[in-house]
Amino acid sequence: MSGYNVRKLKEKLFLFLIGALTVLMFSPLFHIIYSVFNNGIHVILSRRITFITGRLSDGGIGPAIIGTFILVFLASLIGLPVAFLVGVYAYEYPESTLGKATKSLLQIMLEFPTILVGVFIMQMLVVPMGTYSALAGALSLAIIMMPYVAVYTHEAMRQIPFEYRDAAFSLGLTRVKAVFRVLVPMAKRGILTGVLIGIAKVAGETAPLLFTVGGSYQTYQIGITKPVGAIPLLIYTLIQSPAKEHHEMAWGASLILLLIFLGIFIPVRLSLREVKV
Amino acid sequence: MIELALETRDLKVYYGNNMVIKGVNLKVPKNVVFALMGPSGCGKSTMLRAFNRLLELNSEARVEGEVRILGRNIYAPNVDPIEVRREVGMVFQYPNPFPHLTIYDNVAIGLKLNGLVRSKEELDKRVEWALKKAALWDEVKDRLDDYPSNLSGGQRQRLVIARALAMKPKILLMDEPTANIDPVGTKKIEELLFELKKKYTIILVTHSPAQAARVSDYVAFLYLGELIELGPTRKVFENPEHELTEQYVTGVLG
Repeated sequence: MSGYNVRKLKEKLFLFLIGALTVLMFSPLFHIIYSVFNNGIHVILSRRITFITGRLSDGGIGPAIIGTFILVFLASLIGLPVAFLVGVYAYEYPESTLGKATKSLLQIMLEFPTILVGVFIMQMLVVPMGTYSALAGALSLAIIMMPYVAVYTHEAMRQIPFEYRDAAFSLGLTRVKAVFRVLVPMAKRGILTGVLIGIAKVAGETAPLLFTVGGSYQTYQIGITKPVGAIPLLIYTLIQSPAKEHHEMAWGASLILLLIFLGIFIPVRLSLREVKV
Repeated sequence: MIELALETRDLKVYYGNNMVIKGVNLKVPKNVVFALMGPSGCGKSTMLRAFNRLLELNSEARVEGEVRILGRNIYAPNVDPIEVRREVGMVFQYPNPFPHLTIYDNVAIGLKLNGLVRSKEELDKRVEWALKKAALWDEVKDRLDDYPSNLSGGQRQRLVIARALAMKPKILLMDEPTANIDPVGTKKIEELLFELKKKYTIILVTHSPAQAARVSDYVAFLYLGELIELGPTRKVFENPEHELTEQYVTGVLG
């Protein structure tokens, strides 16, 4: 009887410990969100719309916001189609040499130090062009985004039960039609999740932009071969400044970045919940 | 002479180096329900998949010998497996209507993607026709835009039958179509077989001798990849020639 009680006590203690560690693990996340809101909201409220649309000299981060959108849009334009096709390829030809290699290479790319991507693009594009550019930044972001999208696409396709593959082929569909007209639409939610996660990931990247985009915060640039700004890069620059005023702006910019990130991420989570089997 | 819907000549199937169908010769007349029965793992499903070359999706599988459908060897070098699958419909063990498509689109998809209909009206007609043939029309005609997840297991399986019929196949292959269906749904599908065989030849895989006895005209007993016995269902059940067959139909052999 007492042995039983000891066991019960041990179990409770263990559960408590696991619970406490879990809370401990997530507490930085909530603290980050809290402090970014707390410090950022004053700046945004005091400057209102100027903060969103103004140039740095007006006390706004407009060029950085536009820059981030341009970079993410261009990176998606370059990266998404390629990544999607690579993911489908890895699913459809898992036994081929290239298919096997693709899976391992994607894993490596996923964990690759992002600053090296920035260095690479600087050598390949910025130096020959003689200028920082939105294109260079977008290319490095595309390289970082692609493995995420490809891996998610591959996973989403792999989760389609084999019966549906049988069914599609039993109707006399060609491989292209079976895959792209039946199986891909079936996995579209998972693929879309990968796309959004890829976008959210690169929207917050700093390292690959350090040597590629140049950072332009006083003017709105037109043209993809001109330097642009980006919110994370601006935060990095502002924090390094000794001025208190710049630190405040960095908090405001952080809040905008957080909102953009959550704006992409929350719909992903919500849409995942509706999945009906 | 009876016209044959399907005939195999020394059909062998290998998975890697492992021979799982060991040289089967069988003849299936037209407009019958032909049951392939045998215990689990005896190669029934594998053999069925050789009949529409769906086996080729498995890169391990290799087929030798001939399968003739209406006289033509579908393993001849100039035959396109895509064409074969359009002519041979298939229904699976687990009801697998496409979950992301409506009831209507599930029936229409083969026709649409293969470009087999010319107009929306023709497509509408063919979908209605196929659903009626599969005895599902009355239950779904008011909710064609609904999704298959709202159908019962038996209804889903009849939807799959409609999807196959819409392609106007020459032969319908059914791989234990009632294995995952409740008794009421099973009865409906079995009744449907009697209707369908007027127009189609049905090859049905079942591990239940009772089902084979209820629905089939001819039966083949397969054991460990070999064809043990083949004949009119009544004869095989009442007066089997082979001892293994007798053991199987009487339930001595699982």
